[in-house]
Amino acid sequence: MQVFKAFMKVMRTRLPSILPYVIVFMIISVMISTVGGDEERFTAEEMKICIFDEDDTPQSHALAEFIAKGNELVELENDDDVILDSLYYASVDMVLTIKDGYAERLAAGETEDLFTTKHIHDSYAIALMDQLLSEYVVTVDGYMAGGQDFDQAVESAIGTLSKETEVTLVTEDSTMSKSEYFEGFFRYLPYILISIMLNGLCPVLIVMNRKDLRYRTNCSSIKVSSVSVQTFLASAVFVGAIWLIFVVAGVILNGGLFVGTAWLAVLNCLIFAMISALIAMLLSSFNVSDNVVGVITQVISLGMSFLCGVFVPMEMLSSGVLSAARFLPAYWYVRANSMISGTEHFDGSKVLLYMGIELGFAAALAVITLLIRRMKYNRADSVNA
Amino acid sequence: MENTVVKIDSLVKRYGDLIALDHFSLEIKEGEIFGLLGPNGSGKTTTINCLLSLLAFDKGDIKIFGKEMTPTSYDIKKDIGVIMQNVAVFDELTVYENIDYFCGLYITDKAERKKCVDEAVRFVGLEDFLKFRPKKLSGGLLRRLNIACGIAHKPKLIILDEPTVAVDPQSRNKILEGIQELNARGATVIYTSHYMEEVEKICTRIAIMDKGKKIAEGTKDQLKRMIKNTETITVEVLGLTDEVISQIAGLPHIYDHSYDGSLLTVFCSGGKHNLIRVMEVLQKNDLSFGRVYTELPTLNDVFLEVTGKALRDKED
Ligand SMILES: Nc1ncnc2c1ncn2[C@@H]1O[C@H](COP(=O)(O)OP(=O)(O)O)[C@@H](O)[C@H]1O
Ligand SMILES: [Mg+2]
Repeated sequence: MQVFKAFMKVMRTRLPSILPYVIVFMIISVMISTVGGDEERFTAEEMKICIFDEDDTPQSHALAEFIAKGNELVELENDDDVILDSLYYASVDMVLTIKDGYAERLAAGETEDLFTTKHIHDSYAIALMDQLLSEYVVTVDGYMAGGQDFDQAVESAIGTLSKETEVTLVTEDSTMSKSEYFEGFFRYLPYILISIMLNGLCPVLIVMNRKDLRYRTNCSSIKVSSVSVQTFLASAVFVGAIWLIFVVAGVILNGGLFVGTAWLAVLNCLIFAMISALIAMLLSSFNVSDNVVGVITQVISLGMSFLCGVFVPMEMLSSGVLSAARFLPAYWYVRANSMISGTEHFDGSKVLLYMGIELGFAAALAVITLLIRRMKYNRADSVNA
Repeated sequence: MENTVVKIDSLVKRYGDLIALDHFSLEIKEGEIFGLLGPNGSGKTTTINCLLSLLAFDKGDIKIFGKEMTPTSYDIKKDIGVIMQNVAVFDELTVYENIDYFCGLYITDKAERKKCVDEAVRFVGLEDFLKFRPKKLSGGLLRRLNIACGIAHKPKLIILDEPTVAVDPQSRNKILEGIQELNARGATVIYTSHYMEEVEKICTRIAIMDKGKKIAEGTKDQLKRMIKNTETITVEVLGLTDEVISQIAGLPHIYDHSYDGSLLTVFCSGGKHNLIRVMEVLQKNDLSFGRVYTELPTLNDVFLEVTGKALRDKED
């Protein structure tokens, strides 16, 4: 495994040039996930709520019970200082006071000013809770307007609203469609993968392919086929490792293992990692200098990313750009990814078709690379190509 | 010492229209340090590359250790060590890692390899530079690393293609001594160079090549006996008249001469006391002269006589 080991040692010297890509991408992903992931926290995670029921009627009890479902109830002394402290130290997220006369006024069709809420840390979850409360009163009001009496209306409203929450929960868990970061995470990956493969893998392959080193290796008693196999194996290990890093990062940012069709995104990502590696192999067939590799890397990674909707959503690109983008693998990656993440309507057979097209690009790249290498080595009169 | 190690038979190699090797033949016996001497572009590297099956050739036959050499002759390759004209090492690996890598292409057993690598390191004197990257080494040290990479696996046949180009004299001597030492330990050596002094110093047999052809072959004494020049006399003297010059030219055993107004060069073939006779002519004509020296023939004279041009280019 001499060649494999040497490959890895050369790769080690390239790490400083690929690490920034990984790190910057991770930071951006974390930022996306903390902004976009709150919606999930509302449904999946509990909020600590303290309820002061000043009305103390069956109807107010029903509301308190409804709110308590899926959240953690916290008991506090009804004292401004205590409340403020608790909010400040986040031992409670929100304090809800159901005002005296709540039931009476709601029964009379009033929907405003029925309760007060207190919170310090603004969050999406709190905004949603506010929204849920106003939705609740409007729904009760609506059922009463539809002819139900007050108690019935309360029951119906609770029923409807709980079902809605459940539905949101179900859709989120199976396809993660609401998880915005998930789509973003995988959508930006083509740029990162191409950059890493061209900056990391390509220069290593160029070194391993250096004519003088190849001559020397070909003089030795190691089989030419063994050299090829070891080089290929080492490249595959590198591609696999990079892929694994992003899968693991994705799982961590996702807050748990992927479920269901989400694994298709992981597969899609592996296919694109392979395509990026093949682009690197193709480029390494021309003995280009490090600087040239850098320029070409920027052109390919940025160009393909902009044209194919990696950076900018496809809806914002002109149809001319999009029809040109069809001839680039990243376009099909993004299409597949949009479907998998639920941004577009999910169609399993189409996703597989898109991935098949990507594999077609991979095969084409492999064939072109092999042909170019054969041509080059024949020209050099080498019998050991 | 009668075993033939390398036999090249009528090798022809073309690069497009250029005939780089023109029916080139060679036979090298076990235990020799065989010198391949020729000016730049004469086809030395091409010969080596064909010999190693790195290049396809148009015609001819190559046998090493009595077996035909092909790109897949791994049993032959395992006993050959190659040091190429250009330093071929990984810039990304350290000195030790480089030697270990190339040695490992031949020797897979770890313990055995370590012994070999350590020995090679000591042999070329790179003990203090094991952790260095090649870029940090001087030209001489780099050449030594290049050699260590080629010999660590203890080959029976060592091929060195111009291993001393651009090397300081001290490193050059160390390299030449090293080659002789390897030969003393039993390796057959093929050594190519365009420096005749080096080839004269260490090679037991020499082939001189020019334009892809072998123009002479033998030990250095055999080669020198092949030519008529036995002595070249040089005198620093001003204002020689044609009369005096023709007197000198008329002396016995002198077959050629040249004068550029300050330096007289006289070429002799055989005979004794040639220098004294030249002096006598000068004294008789009351000419005072500066430095006087005489040189025995060199391989350069051999090359000059066979090809009509100097072996070494001025810029070397
Ligand atoms: N790859 C090549 N393509 C075309 N011509 C070459 C190539 N390599 C060497 N030559 C030519 O072949 C001749 C012999 O070259 P080479 O074997 O390198 O000579 P040497 O090693 O004695 O300096 C030179 O004229 C050189 O220009
Ligand atoms: Mg050469």
